[in-house]
Amino acid sequence: MWEERLAMHLRDRPAQLREAKDKGVKIIGYFPGNYVPEELIYASGAVPICLAHGGGPHPADAALSVVPHLICPFARAQIREKLLKRNPYYSMIDMLVAPITCVHLRKVAEIWEYYGDIEIFKLGIPHQYGGDFELEYYADRLRALKDRLQAFTGNEITSERISRAIGLYNRMRELLKKISLIRRTTSPPLSSLDFVRLNHASFYADPAFMVDVLESVYQELTRKQQVTKANTPRLLLIGPNIGYGDYRVLELVKEAGGEIVIEEVCEGIRYYWQAIENKGDLFHSLAKGYLRDRVPCAFMRGSAKKRLDFALKLVKDFNVSGIIWYELLNCETYDSESYFFAQKMLERNIPMLILESNYGAADAGQLKTRIEAFVEMVRGGIE
Amino acid sequence: MIELLKLCGFEADEAESELPRMEKAFNKLGITAEDIGRAKQRLTKYYDIELKGVRKLLRLLVQDIVNSVLAREEGKTKIIYGFMSPGWTPFVSALVSKSKEVHATYLCPQFQIVVGGIFNKMVPILEAAEKRWLKAGAVTHCSNVKSLVGLFALDLIPKPDLLITSGLLCETAPKTTDLLHELYNIPTYSINTCHDREYSEYPAATKRIVGLAAQSLRRLTERVQEAVGFEITGDMLREEIDASSELARALSKLDSLIESSDPLPVSANHQILWRFLGLLPLSTDSMADAIDAINTLYEELQERVDKGLGVVEKGTPRILALLPPSHVDPRPDHLVSELGMAIVASDFGCLASDVGIPQDPYEIVALQALQDSPFHSLRRRIPLIIELCKRLNIDGVIDRFHIGCRTVVGDALLIKEAITKELGIPVLLLERDDFDPRPYNHEQYKRRLEVFKTMLSREHKRSMT
Repeated sequence: MWEERLAMHLRDRPAQLREAKDKGVKIIGYFPGNYVPEELIYASGAVPICLAHGGGPHPADAALSVVPHLICPFARAQIREKLLKRNPYYSMIDMLVAPITCVHLRKVAEIWEYYGDIEIFKLGIPHQYGGDFELEYYADRLRALKDRLQAFTGNEITSERISRAIGLYNRMRELLKKISLIRRTTSPPLSSLDFVRLNHASFYADPAFMVDVLESVYQELTRKQQVTKANTPRLLLIGPNIGYGDYRVLELVKEAGGEIVIEEVCEGIRYYWQAIENKGDLFHSLAKGYLRDRVPCAFMRGSAKKRLDFALKLVKDFNVSGIIWYELLNCETYDSESYFFAQKMLERNIPMLILESNYGAADAGQLKTRIEAFVEMVRGGIE
Repeated sequence: MIELLKLCGFEADEAESELPRMEKAFNKLGITAEDIGRAKQRLTKYYDIELKGVRKLLRLLVQDIVNSVLAREEGKTKIIYGFMSPGWTPFVSALVSKSKEVHATYLCPQFQIVVGGIFNKMVPILEAAEKRWLKAGAVTHCSNVKSLVGLFALDLIPKPDLLITSGLLCETAPKTTDLLHELYNIPTYSINTCHDREYSEYPAATKRIVGLAAQSLRRLTERVQEAVGFEITGDMLREEIDASSELARALSKLDSLIESSDPLPVSANHQILWRFLGLLPLSTDSMADAIDAINTLYEELQERVDKGLGVVEKGTPRILALLPPSHVDPRPDHLVSELGMAIVASDFGCLASDVGIPQDPYEIVALQALQDSPFHSLRRRIPLIIELCKRLNIDGVIDRFHIGCRTVVGDALLIKEAITKELGIPVLLLERDDFDPRPYNHEQYKRRLEVFKTMLSREHKRSMT
């Protein structure tokens, strides 16, 4: 039932947004990675849209007229969408909030800025984030974003409006977490692909509608009868990114008989593990929640050990027996970390498969074979 | 070996007295008699070693390598390295001046220029890194970080008490030091920088990011103090800034001479020899040596200019090169002069002085580190380069972009587009690895440069008519 409602909503969403735009509502895009508090955009009366398209049947090669192949395919996909102007979401945004995360996405922001046809706000993320002055820097940037949004939309962003927005997005995060935690059971009632799609839908759908859908999903899943499939390898997916449409690996794992039961992915997955404190200085709360109190992405300083510890916790909590490390071509930080993680997982006798994607179809056969062999190997370990 | 040391600027008696140290360090680096023979050939072929200033610069490089390799066994109790963190130099100069127990240096230009450029022995170091986490292949890791990891992996330099880096251009340097910390237990610190300047908000944005970096430098001071056990004050830092400004003036004078020369008095591959000086932590004595080397070179080149002598003919097309020359291989930039083109300047060192000099010494250091062309966003970097082309009356641009650096890689095509549109001069994009000699294909490089030269001549004729 909820599937139909959501599908219909997403089908009509571009038209809805165009209508809103005609009435003067601003559509504000932002790049994923979960360093842009959607709450602020929402509180300004604008519509936040996460620009997370990547993978899928369209190769990122259209961007090669602007950047060489050495930029990662997800970043290239963001340039491609800008150049081709075919994607309704990318075409309709009035302003871009670009978090300064990894060098690849930073370049995308600079290239969008170079073309100069829409307003850009660069949201500085201190990559060393432990100190108070770093937290304050980020909080100050959020205050500057608020000022820019107010000027851009003509709407005052009051504390009450921010608080209401935090409440709404906290509920969304809470529901996503609860749905995700259901997958700790022996046989998850929701596949990884379904979960990621649900998550991606939350980037484009109306947030209040999405919360309603997620409530229904949660209710339905808790009612579902669990079926025990003892020899299905339960896998953890680690990687920088799953773009909207980049579902090939998830599908291949499923086809091979494996089950990804949890994703430790930065870009393209909303960070739902923790709620934002909805009291006191809300900019401080947002800064803490989005910068400090979360598991850091690989581009952040000193993140390898913290992410390893988090991954090991997920292995234990989700009863995982193997890891799929899914990195994008030319992503130096994840490629470097793959060595560290593989070594640490080997010490703990946890098998890990390292996959690299350039979004093209050329490596499809090789990926399939490697995933099948890995799933078999992990299954052998279970038996 | 003595002969090589003399070629590298050591006086006869100094070469004799330093020989045991040199041999010990070179043995550790795996330099053989055959390598020394090759080094002599390369020095003669690619470097203007009849210039005393060049020899003096080489001497500083060799000394720093030997001091680094032997630091622990020569009794240095504290070792601090900087890596891809140009803003930290005055701190460490302060340390070096204060204590004889501390060895501090900036990695890895000296190894890349001497072990790579002169001995052509960088590959084993790079391969050692590739056997760890910086694998070769499509991912195209930066070979600068490979150099660092390779030096540690082969145990060629002692492990430091603190390794300092920054994310000035990328995340790959901090990620590398992060893993060196996890896997080799090396204490590390990363200076915080943030590339969030929007084109429309200069110069306020520069003040903002300078403020962040300055606070991070203050925290670095605490870490360095913990590591070495004595205090570093703002006054000490200011003294070092003042001391290094004399070197900066000498370097600027040398750059100006080369920029305005016709014909070019020395080939572009030499520029790497003095680019590294601004990064190296210099004690009072070595600062004096560095200034002397630059001034000597300046006088020698001025003499060539006065006599109308050069490495190319007068009227040769004037080229702006983006990024510094290759650190490990003198051949590509030497070839440009051989083919009759004059690289008169690089955008590395092209500064955007959009804010006044701050009072706070930490902010001065931060500003110095953040105003260089590649550290700006694309939309700001492009006008800087175009202005430089106009000011220097440039005929063509060679963007020799380093494939391991996503920052410059991401800029290359749009810089070309903008320069071509705005100035109508030819731009040659050369994908290359600044720290790895293996991808260099001499014949292919030569053919591309020859075609570029033809384009330059055509444009030159067109502008004359």
